[in-house]
This record gives sequence, structure tokens and C-alpha cells, in this order.
Amino acid sequence: MPDDAPPLDLAGCLARVRQRDQAAARELVEHLHPLVIRIVRSHLPRRVAEEDLTQEIFLKMFTRLEQYQGAVPFPHWVSRIAVTTCIDHLRAQKRRPEFRWADLSETEAEVLDNVITNENDVPANDAMAAHELVHKLLDQLKPDDQLVIRLLDLQQKSIAEIAQLTGWNQSLIKVRAFRARRKLQKLFQELQKKERS
Amino acid sequence: MNLKDPKHPWTRLTAAARTVVDDRDPAAPYGFATRLSAIAFTQERTMTSLLERFALRAVGVACLLTMTTIATNYSVVTNLFAEREETPLTTTDDPVGEIVDVASS
Repeated sequence: MPDDAPPLDLAGCLARVRQRDQAAARELVEHLHPLVIRIVRSHLPRRVAEEDLTQEIFLKMFTRLEQYQGAVPFPHWVSRIAVTTCIDHLRAQKRRPEFRWADLSETEAEVLDNVITNENDVPANDAMAAHELVHKLLDQLKPDDQLVIRLLDLQQKSIAEIAQLTGWNQSLIKVRAFRARRKLQKLFQELQKKERS
Repeated sequence: MNLKDPKHPWTRLTAAARTVVDDRDPAAPYGFATRLSAIAFTQERTMTSLLERFALRAVGVACLLTMTTIATNYSVVTNLFAEREETPLTTTDDPVGEIVDVASS
């Protein structure tokens, strides 16, 4: 979307989409695509093409459009559809086998080795490797726990924001975060033991 | 060491991971919105017409079944009414009926 484009009149656009105006539907998709693709890219399950997942989310949006009552802003409503669709796909995929040093690239192994053996921050040029490593470690968690930790630790969202996005209650999110952190802690302890041996 | 500790390996890894900027274009690919809006409306129309078609078929099948049932059972129903007309209002199996019969004769 070009920067000089006038802001979209969302309410008017929605009204036209409800009257089956295809041009309005196109405008709506183009307007919401950056929001949806950001969510898809941060929670994209393995072996799922981002365009397929994005299309599925938008089709759900059009199918459920009559259910939208305006209680929350429309982009929030679409975000929730996007997050829940990603969770469904994450749940459907099989869990990755045990995390192994042998599966890491040379840089990833080096970064992991450094964070385990010393207390220095990860150098800026290893940020991409750290990013990949974080995702590989998160793959060891249950899908719902993965999502909570991604939102908490990577996107730095609050518990209230996660509750709004997922529709889960705050206690459940805290339980999932606690469970996920315990599992990650155990994983790091095992990795440290393997590193020492 | 706690996972929230800034010196924990996880905390340092996630801090580094957050600095990675996703520079991929967030805009919809060319033709994506057009294709999607077309699919969305086509899908909606197909669903509606399917419902209409199934509803009409259901009404047709229901009518046919009703006609068949009436046709096949017509003689049974008419016979039943005829039998009822022939049989007395009271039967001998019924003790109350017998008393009524005796009283009326």
C-alpha cells in the first residue's frame, strides 16, 4: 500500500463488502494484509506456505463477517482469527523429534555454545542465528505453549494482550507460560550437561 | 538460574532474536486480493445455491414419499374404516361392553 494513499474508511468498506462489492473486498484485503502476514510470519508452522495460510485466514474473515458486531476494532477481530488459525495449524503438525546439537548449523551451534558457557550477550552479527535457534528450541514445546512464549518473550506482549488475541483467560496463559518455561529450563540443563560431557 | 534472569541463555538468545528485522514486504502479492475476493464471493454463492438446491430436493422427496405412502396404504386405511363401521361399538371381550349390550337388548 503506498504511503500517500488516503486512509481506508473501514466501516464504509465493511458495509460495501456486506453488499458483495468485490472492489471493497479487494481494498479490505490489501489494507489488512500487512497485519495478517506479520502474525502468520511469526507463528508459521513448518511445511505450511505463508500465502496459503494467509488466504485461509482471509476466507475465514469473509465467511464470518456477518458475525462481526463491532464490539472490538475490526483489525483486532481479524488478528484473533489469524492467531487461532495459526494455532490450529501448529496443533495439526507433528512434534519435532528431540533437539540435537547435530541438527544445528555451525553458527547456531557456536551461538548456543557461547550462551551456555559464558554470560556475554549474543553479538549483533549472530542475531539471525540466535533467531533461528530460538525457533528451533520453541519447536520442542507444545503448540499452545509455543505461541504463548513467542508472544511473551519475542513480541513482548502483556498477558492481557495475549488474552485478547487468543481468547484464552489470563490464568490459563500464565499456566502455559510457566509450563513452557519449565520445559525450556529443563532443555537448557540437558544441553549444558551434554556440553560438559 | 531463572528463565527471566537477564543472564539466562534463553533471555540473551531472545534479546538477540528480537533485533532481527523482518525486511520482507508486508504488502499483498500482485493479484492476491483480486483472487481472494473472487474466491470468497464464489464460495459464498455456491454454499447458498447448494442449500437452495438441497432444500428444494428435500421438499420434492417429501412430497413423493407422502404420495407413495397414501397410494400404497389407501386400501388398508379404507378397509380399516369399513371394518370399524361393521363392528359394534362394544365388544364381548369388554365386561362393561357386555353389560351395556345386555342393557340395550
